[in-house]
Amino acid sequence: MNKSLTNIAISLGVVLGFFALVMFVLGAGEAQEGALFNFSVDQATVGLRFLFVVIGLLIAFAVYYVTKENSAWEVGTRQVVWMAIGAALYAVFSWLFNGTVFVVPSVSQVAIRPAVAIPMFFGYAFGPVVGFFTGAVGNMFGDALTGFGLSPQWSIGNGLIGFIAGCWMLFKDRKQSMNTVLYVSGGLVVLTALLYFLNRNQPNMLFFDPDNNIFGDAAISIFAGLSIVVGFILILAVRFGFASNENVATAVMWGMLGNILGLGFAAISDIWINGYTLAVAVVGEFLPAAGPNLIFAAILVPLLVGAYASVQRQSGR
Amino acid sequence: MLVAWKYRKRRSIIQWFDPRAWLTFYGCFFMSILGFWDFRFLMFFFAITMIVLFNSGVTWKEMRRAFLFIIVFVFFFSILTFLTGRGGSEVYTVEHTIRDFKASFSIFGWTPTLKITVERAFYAVSQFVRIGSIAIMTILIPYSLNPALYGITFKGLGLNDKFAYAMDLTMRFIPTFGRDFQLTVDAQRARGYELEKLSGGLIEQVRKMGPIFVPVTIHAIIGSEDIIDAMDLRAFGVGPRTWIDVLMRDTKDRILIGFGVAIFIISLALGFMGYGKFWVPEVLLKLAGG
Repeated sequence: MNKSLTNIAISLGVVLGFFALVMFVLGAGEAQEGALFNFSVDQATVGLRFLFVVIGLLIAFAVYYVTKENSAWEVGTRQVVWMAIGAALYAVFSWLFNGTVFVVPSVSQVAIRPAVAIPMFFGYAFGPVVGFFTGAVGNMFGDALTGFGLSPQWSIGNGLIGFIAGCWMLFKDRKQSMNTVLYVSGGLVVLTALLYFLNRNQPNMLFFDPDNNIFGDAAISIFAGLSIVVGFILILAVRFGFASNENVATAVMWGMLGNILGLGFAAISDIWINGYTLAVAVVGEFLPAAGPNLIFAAILVPLLVGAYASVQRQSGR
Repeated sequence: MLVAWKYRKRRSIIQWFDPRAWLTFYGCFFMSILGFWDFRFLMFFFAITMIVLFNSGVTWKEMRRAFLFIIVFVFFFSILTFLTGRGGSEVYTVEHTIRDFKASFSIFGWTPTLKITVERAFYAVSQFVRIGSIAIMTILIPYSLNPALYGITFKGLGLNDKFAYAMDLTMRFIPTFGRDFQLTVDAQRARGYELEKLSGGLIEQVRKMGPIFVPVTIHAIIGSEDIIDAMDLRAFGVGPRTWIDVLMRDTKDRILIGFGVAIFIISLALGFMGYGKFWVPEVLLKLAGG
């Protein structure tokens, strides 16, 4: 077994050990009244739940093993510099457009935060490792610059945006991969939109309205709630409008999947971290973040892909 | 330049320690404070923050701008929470009213009212202390850590050479891209573009960000070729990397790490036992008739 394969196997083993500790040791206890952390796990089904953790890790290992020869996983000088540039750009843009430096007015509860196009573009252009670093480290520095403090699960979620955006490199047939992405994303969009209609009075946890002095407690507007559908339609328009330009279509499609899965991961993890219900996590957190991001992706990512293609043509690299 | 790391060598408690030890302590401090809303526990963290701040060697003149931003930001959010009562609903459910102010006039049928409750007031204070402590501890780092040591510090924290160097470059690029952004904004302003006055619907507004967003990003990518060439010429990544600076960890660093880890473990234990939740002094509740 080579060194990197051993390292991956050890890392996954550590993760499995951590889950075992949480589920079988901490999870066996009753939740304390008023305790900040609740790790209690229904012990009747804990074996089955743990089996799913094992299956998930095996899938992750299998994906790595099958694609380990793929150049997408290479980290050389270029990737190191691109990682740093992506993360620094994402941090600077996140800081500037988080509503404290440049206050760009919101449109129907949708704040204009275009920075998310950076991990999507860097993931698409330079691979999943660069994308992950750009999203995760960029988000961490962006939060630190603002003084918000860090939210590790949202940093990982942002990292996943870039990571998944770069996963198109693992597929031989781009068109087929885009069709798969389309079906998966479409299914998730319909599911979350349905959750919105069932929970229309949920507060928008991410929205700050300076005019009305409301932070995190205004009921989600219909536009914010359905922005994921609007974004999905825009992405489809770009996908088929640029049918002849596979680069743009690939970038927006995989960026969309990364956005949905990455922010979905972060929002769902708040069920355990912040004690939210599924409705609050999905309708209150996921939709107001992921929906607008799709709109930004549909507009800004094609601009970046086009400009980068020109640079590549000029430089020959 | 929007962001500048104003590091210099100074008599500082932060620089007295090994950067790895300080970052480990900072990580423990940060993860620990997140577990508390109880003002009494938060004051412990605030006391640490004040000790660090007043022994950081960073002068008021140096950090005035950053500090004013933090103060205005934290104060604004705390006051906002106090006035609206929003945001604290996750940590308290019952409110004890101290006083209700009602305006003698109405605007389109709406009468402005201000309800002062013990919980709102204390939540605002707790929020101020909590966010203020995190922000101050964070903002001191770029003033105190030598940029030349970023790479070796992250390497010493367990990252491999490539990722440690990427973290190093990230921290160095942030001020540069901040400056590039400002230059681009200024150049576009000279042509009549106003970022603060974007008009049109959402899609139109996002599209209009292109003239700022694209040049800064593409300029950064083009500029990266020079750095890549320079690194390739020095055979970056060919073999194990050697670092010019060597960090030495001694007893005081181990004590600091131990202190940070102890705080973190105790905080976790207190959280499991149900301590650290939002707290209001009994005296105030009695004053409010609770």
